Amino acid sequence: MTESSSRSGRKDIGTLIVASLFIGLGLVTLYDVTTYSDRDSVVFPSFVAYALIFCSVLVVIASWLRPNQHNGFGSGDWWRRLLLVATMLAGCFVMPLIGFLPATVIAFAGGLVAARHEGWDARSAIIFAASGVFIMAGFYTLFRFALGVPLP
Amino acid sequence: MDFEHLANALTLTNLALALFGVVAGTIIGSIPGLSATMAVAVLVPITFSMAPASALILLGAIYTGAIYGGAYSAILLNTPGTPSAIGTTFDGYPMAKRGDGDLAVAIACYASVFGGMIGALALLLLAPPLSSVALAFGPVEYLWLSIFGLSLITSLSTGNVLKGLAGGAFGLLLSCVGVAEISADIRLTFGSTTMIGGIEVVGALIGLYCIPVLIDLVATPERHLKVEEGGRAVRFREGAIIAWRSRYNLLRSSIIGTLIGILPGAGGSVAGLVAYSEAKRTARPKQKFGEGEPDGVMATEAANNATVGGGFIPTLVLGIPGTPPDAVILGALLVQGVRTGPTLFEGGGSIVYTFIYGLFIATILMLPTGLLIGRYAYKTIVTIPKTILVPSVGFMTIIGTFAIRNSISDVVIMIVLGTVGWVLSRFGFAASPIVLGLILGPIAEQGFVQAWIIGDATGNLAGMFFGRPISLAIIAFTILSLVYPVIQGRRAKKLLEMQAGSND
Repeated sequence: MTESSSRSGRKDIGTLIVASLFIGLGLVTLYDVTTYSDRDSVVFPSFVAYALIFCSVLVVIASWLRPNQHNGFGSGDWWRRLLLVATMLAGCFVMPLIGFLPATVIAFAGGLVAARHEGWDARSAIIFAASGVFIMAGFYTLFRFALGVPLP
Repeated sequence: MDFEHLANALTLTNLALALFGVVAGTIIGSIPGLSATMAVAVLVPITFSMAPASALILLGAIYTGAIYGGAYSAILLNTPGTPSAIGTTFDGYPMAKRGDGDLAVAIACYASVFGGMIGALALLLLAPPLSSVALAFGPVEYLWLSIFGLSLITSLSTGNVLKGLAGGAFGLLLSCVGVAEISADIRLTFGSTTMIGGIEVVGALIGLYCIPVLIDLVATPERHLKVEEGGRAVRFREGAIIAWRSRYNLLRSSIIGTLIGILPGAGGSVAGLVAYSEAKRTARPKQKFGEGEPDGVMATEAANNATVGGGFIPTLVLGIPGTPPDAVILGALLVQGVRTGPTLFEGGGSIVYTFIYGLFIATILMLPTGLLIGRYAYKTIVTIPKTILVPSVGFMTIIGTFAIRNSISDVVIMIVLGTVGWVLSRFGFAASPIVLGLILGPIAEQGFVQAWIIGDATGNLAGMFFGRPISLAIIAFTILSLVYPVIQGRRAKKLLEMQAGSND
């Protein structure tokens, strides 16, 4: 069996999973609307849930019959992606406890490490850390004092 | 309306205010999360001590500049600085990725100026008759308008319409999360307090467009944008030639923007998407929308800036704000003791016409300032190392999203939604249909429920939904926008077959 024929026989599992999750979400919505007190709140989400289920079922069928081999997560470092998202989320969760600036330092540091592919030395670490402090302080000043946003 | 008002608008103070407003608006609008509404709201207190006409000129200039400023981050970072610039990302970012970011910024500026001028012209010449159009729009018309907007999914979902429709339905469902607007039921929160405030549209936009780009940027060592060797000059002339070639697209998009701007609540995001869709529908076969087509950038930018003048029509004539920033400006005028309404054009005509000329001047000033700021924005984004760009943009997404409602929950939702958006995009579910559903969902639901209640009370449900002339016209446009691409596709296929046959 050639590589191309094996590829054409492969299913687009990711699309099937996403569409199945959409169907599940539609079903959960249909359950959730049964708890609403007012009929006006029910009609629109119910209609949308049916539309989501219907479209997702069609996506499952189409994807099963004609899988797109180009779909997928592609190449790249997973740890960098995860580090970026995890540090941003971690920053949000600790924000009420330690304040805005220290919390965003976590997110900023995570982003720095995740985005740096060239390796670290003392000079680059100092330069990027100093740039980060300057940028964060600048935006913090703009939002907190000039725009009056009550940052925690 | 005479030269006296033009002379009033041209005083040194008013010129300085217009210049300051355009520059401040452009800079604020270019920061993701800071919308035109926020730009205007933040600077409103400055105007309280000014003469009403000068205050209006400053606020109009800030608004115009902010709408244009949203294009910078849309083009250079794939993050719409304001919701109005959603459509600008579709072709602007692909242009920047292939090394044409400077050209995209230049044509966005030309288109914004053109659209702004058309909107201001409509405000000058057609304000009273056009405002009556806005009054004729009831709940059912808004319902059909939002359905027309949703029909754009077919043209926005490049490659897979089914996935686009599923994404659109997902977006509509997201718009239902939180407290229901009409009946106050708490929906789809599953007991979570984080979700109770609903999904904030601007935060969702930032998440869906910006977070996937950041996730992709960190994964590989490649540069974020292509850099041309030798540091060429900004492509003003080339941009002007392209804009001139697309003058009909510019005019059509500006008219669409003006008309949608007049409708209260629709706003620049809807105008930009409708204009983009129309530009795509009428494109020549060789034009590839979604892959860096300059006409796509021009359509969106002309339309969103035209909503500035268009939105002022119902604001000044009827006292009904056409767009969210108009609502803030209306509030500022009330503080100043200016009563909007038809009499403003008679009794207070001097203020209105001085302001309209001021808006023209601010729009013209946007050309040199926009091109200059755009040049530096482009050079900065292109030359800044990815190591510092990624965390800086990440930081801006956090602070910008937080600033909208001072809510950490919004920031968490933004990051989660962005990550989900990245996964979905990897399997062909584009962000645009989700965003479209999220924006149009509340308009559709409110229109539907209100029309249903009125129709039910009058005992004429069918007549309510299908018996009003404007509704029928919008339904016809919706059907046309759904059917036309199919007909066009078949025609193109037949033409190709005929050409292949004649070659044989």
